[in-house]
Amino acid sequence: MNKFLAVIRREYVERVRTKMFILMTILGPIMLAVFTVVPGLLFSIKTGGPTRIAIVDQTDRLAGRVSRVILDDDDEERSKANANNAAVAAEKAMNSNLQERAQNVGRTLKGNCEIEQVPSHGRALEDVQRELNARISREELDGYIVLPKDILTDGKAQYYGRNTGDVFTNGQLERRLSQAVREQRMADENISEERVRDLSRPVEMSIKPVNAKGEVGAEDNSGTNFIFVFVLGFLIYISIIMYGQLILAAVIEEKETRIAEILFSSVRSFTLMIGKLVGVSLVALTQLAIWGLAFAVFAVYGISMLKQSGVPFSLPSAPWYVVIYFFLFFLLGYYIYSTLYALVGSMVTTAQEGGQMAMPVLFLLMMGFYVSFIVIRSPNSSFAFWTSMIPFFSPIVMLVRIITQTPPFWQIALSLLIGFGTVVALVWLASRIYRIGMLMYGKRASIPEVMRWVRQS
Amino acid sequence: MNDQANTLILSNVTKSFDEFTAVNDLSLSVRAGRIFGLLGPNGAGKTTTIRMIVNITAPDSGRIELFGRKVTPELQDRIGYLPEERGLYKKMKVVDQLKFFGSLKNLTGKALNETIDRWLERVKLTEWKDKKATELSKGMQQKIQFIAAVMHDPDLIILDEPFSGLDPINVELLKEIILELKATQKTIIFSTHQMEVAEKICDDICLIKRSRKVLDGSIRQIKAGFGRNSVALRIEGDQSVLNNPALVAKMTEHSDETEVLLAEGANAQELLRHLVSAGATVTKFELVEPSLNDIFIIKSR
Repeated sequence: MNKFLAVIRREYVERVRTKMFILMTILGPIMLAVFTVVPGLLFSIKTGGPTRIAIVDQTDRLAGRVSRVILDDDDEERSKANANNAAVAAEKAMNSNLQERAQNVGRTLKGNCEIEQVPSHGRALEDVQRELNARISREELDGYIVLPKDILTDGKAQYYGRNTGDVFTNGQLERRLSQAVREQRMADENISEERVRDLSRPVEMSIKPVNAKGEVGAEDNSGTNFIFVFVLGFLIYISIIMYGQLILAAVIEEKETRIAEILFSSVRSFTLMIGKLVGVSLVALTQLAIWGLAFAVFAVYGISMLKQSGVPFSLPSAPWYVVIYFFLFFLLGYYIYSTLYALVGSMVTTAQEGGQMAMPVLFLLMMGFYVSFIVIRSPNSSFAFWTSMIPFFSPIVMLVRIITQTPPFWQIALSLLIGFGTVVALVWLASRIYRIGMLMYGKRASIPEVMRWVRQS
Repeated sequence: MNDQANTLILSNVTKSFDEFTAVNDLSLSVRAGRIFGLLGPNGAGKTTTIRMIVNITAPDSGRIELFGRKVTPELQDRIGYLPEERGLYKKMKVVDQLKFFGSLKNLTGKALNETIDRWLERVKLTEWKDKKATELSKGMQQKIQFIAAVMHDPDLIILDEPFSGLDPINVELLKEIILELKATQKTIIFSTHQMEVAEKICDDICLIKRSRKVLDGSIRQIKAGFGRNSVALRIEGDQSVLNNPALVAKMTEHSDETEVLLAEGANAQELLRHLVSAGATVTKFELVEPSLNDIFIIKSR
């Protein structure tokens, strides 16, 4: 037991002391914040002056309406949206897809557009276009829209511009133009625009979960569950890769430095292997605890500060049991994959070789991640059940099931039992292969050799 | 412990890896309080034998008895082992490494710290205590590894090629320490392929070659058994006599003399007669004990 503790202690102390650990602990949350919030903010920022757009109206009656609609921010979604555009973008960026983002960005058109109407005065379209093209080349104009005579029946318009790659603005222009044309058609048919707008109000659907006991839960807004699952899964995935690599390096270190033989003359390889895994897991937990604490501080102080400065920010709330299960399955995932990494480390002689041999482990991990996407849509199917019993997938898949539609307790317990059983078996195997690998002077161990060693011990 | 008690007994020990037999039917006994040399060329099976003694690997057949008992992992704490393949954690401080190795041998607390300080001073590395392993020279690292092998005051100390890579000053220092350990009734097994080194410090030896034992016993007995059949020579003139296989088994040129191992059945007088009648001028002719190396060569033929 003393030896076991000595191994754990060394692994822990030596790793926590490293600059890399301190750096990662500090940078981790900052990087997470940067990667989630910053892209959203970037999309919402449009540098440079307003976009100057000219409208060439060949119908002679649409231009006014079009420019009004483009400059108008009273769009149907607008009523639901917040006054602060940047804040909306930031909030949405946390959990929205690209299209949604693009639409949010489009809302900022108003402040960023200057519209100018170009009367044709009977001139040929070609002449007008030549003049506008020249203005674009002199950078007096960014683009122009041509509204052909038959736009109301044909529904076709053209946009000519310097930067046609700004998909957000293009999409927005198209949408606004359609709206203007639609309204014009209605006006032509003597239909009241206000009446139509009033009658085509969208439906809001509130989503509430029903649990196994038939109780209805609180409203589940905007698919936070899905995002929550995704974030948790991703967190597990990233942590496992990070700490798995650490284990791989730790196991190979003792071979490369030729320290293994000294250790084996003092301590059993099983004790050594378990000690390493536990030691590094404590490092991981220390890091998570620090992050958790930082997050808690942020939750208490940061959010109220953000709210005061006008940025709405809400955290997904998780029931206590999810937190506990997250913790358990995180540990399970960590141990299963660390052991696999240790197994790989025990078979190879150099770090480079280890990197190549570790690829299948990574594939297995990715498979578990992808399986969880299938499971999230039908968390109680037999597919979901069986994949959550396979120890290499269960850390992510079972967690997904717990969050979406908590399965019976016995299934969770069984999954954990199978998982931790696999861990012990794998460590046992890895420690033996490790010892043979060392005795063989760099030659890879064959399966019969492994079998003989297993028998001998 | 009385002088004749055996610390270690190997009986008919065999170990093979796939088709390759590393140790074949090896029997030997190591007497308590003495320095035992396990000798043989590279690849003879020395390291495999040692690994079975320290319980890193198990023999396929045969029996190993340590301190009068069958080897178990618990007995590991009474052994100190300096492997041939050895290293240190690169980025760990010297003192932390020693603390770790000490705690793996169940040393703890104050006793551990005192032991570390005492040994660092003994090998003259006290000021390197807080340095990282990468800052140490290879020789210094080796002395740290040596401390790791002996710090827990083991009854049996096994040193596999302990002098390789050390400068002469440190070789002397280490020899001194080994003899001190012997004086405190420790049993020491010393493995090397350098016969000259073994000759100087071992009491008993076992020669192995190609996984088999060639001979064993105390150095004194072995040499006595061979008699004085080596001649140290200094001659001028015709040396062709030395090429006669009926007289000379082996000839070694040293800087200022030639060492000649007599062929079996030949005697020194006969060699001298032949040299003189061939017209050579003999300026030195001395009967010497055969070196372990010579004995090994004769026995392994």
